[in-house]
Amino acid sequence: MEDRLARARWVRQHVFPHDLQMRNWFRKRGISEDDINEAMQEAYYRIAKLDEVEPIANPGAYFFSIARNFAIQRLKQLPVVPFETLSEMDSAHLGMESPIDETVHIRLSYDKVRAMIAALPERCRAIVELRKVENWSQKEIAQHFGITEKAVEKQVWLGIRAVREAWRKGESAGEARLEAIERRGMKR
Amino acid sequence: MTHPHPHPPPLTPDAAYWAARMDSGEWSAQDEAALRQWLGDDKARHAELLETQACWMMLDQAEPVAETLPSPLWRRRRFLAAAAAGVAAMVGAARFWPRGQSFATRTGEIRRVPLNDGSVMMINSGSELAVEMSAHARNIELARGEAWFQVAKDATRPFVVAAGDVRAKAVGTAFAVRLREGGVEVNVTEGVVQTWGMGHDSAPTRLTAGERVLVTQNAVVFLDRGGDGSTEQALAWRNGMIDLSGHTLAEAAAEFNRYNTLQIVVNDPRVAGERMAGIFRIDDPRGFIAALRDGFALQVDNSQPGEVRITAKENGRS
Repeated sequence: MEDRLARARWVRQHVFPHDLQMRNWFRKRGISEDDINEAMQEAYYRIAKLDEVEPIANPGAYFFSIARNFAIQRLKQLPVVPFETLSEMDSAHLGMESPIDETVHIRLSYDKVRAMIAALPERCRAIVELRKVENWSQKEIAQHFGITEKAVEKQVWLGIRAVREAWRKGESAGEARLEAIERRGMKR
Repeated sequence: MTHPHPHPPPLTPDAAYWAARMDSGEWSAQDEAALRQWLGDDKARHAELLETQACWMMLDQAEPVAETLPSPLWRRRRFLAAAAAGVAAMVGAARFWPRGQSFATRTGEIRRVPLNDGSVMMINSGSELAVEMSAHARNIELARGEAWFQVAKDATRPFVVAAGDVRAKAVGTAFAVRLREGGVEVNVTEGVVQTWGMGHDSAPTRLTAGERVLVTQNAVVFLDRGGDGSTEQALAWRNGMIDLSGHTLAEAAAEFNRYNTLQIVVNDPRVAGERMAGIFRIDDPRGFIAALRDGFALQVDNSQPGEVRITAKENGRS
């Protein structure tokens, strides 16, 4: 588990904050949603499978180049590709506009994350806040509320699902979308 | 205080489930085995778990930290040796490495490379150069070919391009350096550049926008004093074009040959000195040849593969 958590922390630190930017970068170049998902998936998968990640000097760039190369391979399999798209993708790694050098964006996403917590269903929000903002362990939260650890874990599970979904929907989501997620979360 | 509901609805395990499970800090061998079974060879699941965990960690109270600074060289070497799987991808990532990077372009390839100090370089066809960034200096070594640099202002770190024995130094400006036979051409498009030869006794020559010089073993020869747009003309390659205005046919052929494997051979002295005009696509020597055939009395011989011979048209003479 420690290995898995360490890998996830590394991804959280270096890659995940750029996730949306990278997806938008592909989107702007007319890559289909399916191909974007697959390219990003490929990159996450490759990172998951690496023996060690610490020696990677620039994780964001490393990650991005995996996804980009994958997308280029995909494009090349299409019967017809606008020439500009391919050549731009190819030269894009030379950076016209690199999607992964914005620390500013990390902050923005982070602020949005905070808003996300606030928008969670009530009981879920309470637990997520204790866990993340107060940094209590699941065990401490269980003791505090006098409930089982399993019950806390399940609320955390719901919380993770909601946050993940909100994240995936992108930052432009706004209140309405978070509410929709909330409703869906309640139904389940 | 609202108590959390003790009986949340049942759900089938998904990535969020495993993330929550690990988040509890309780993790048994059975958990690990079950997770492995859930993951299997499923790419999507491996990826999703990592994304989900990272997403969850985004909520941590700790302030987000920007990308860490570049690691020392040895770590990269170790990485290159270790992660064979990632090597292909690393080629693309190489430009982000701030120190000791080298770049090479193939014939016909023109690359635009942003440097980590904010400068941008464009490497012309068939060129080779190395970039070294440090706290006090930005050094480029051009080993072959030509490159154009748009230099980000940084008074504390002079930007020096070395080509053979010739140096060109800029603080914030744009200029090109090209290794030629008999010297190094320096072409300034913006700002001011100082250039000198290592063997020269004189002080560096100060060049301003529009000026183009050839720095030889022992002299700096002005090719352009600026103002006529010819420095831009010499850099048309940045847009994938060749501007042939004023060139002779032999020079034009040499220009095309820099960019293409198809070689244009002009051995006929009767036509080699013909003056050309026009702007052509770098990657379209055939278009250029077609224009030649239409515009001049020239004979085009395609009989050799990879080679086009151009001579005066025999039957065109009376």
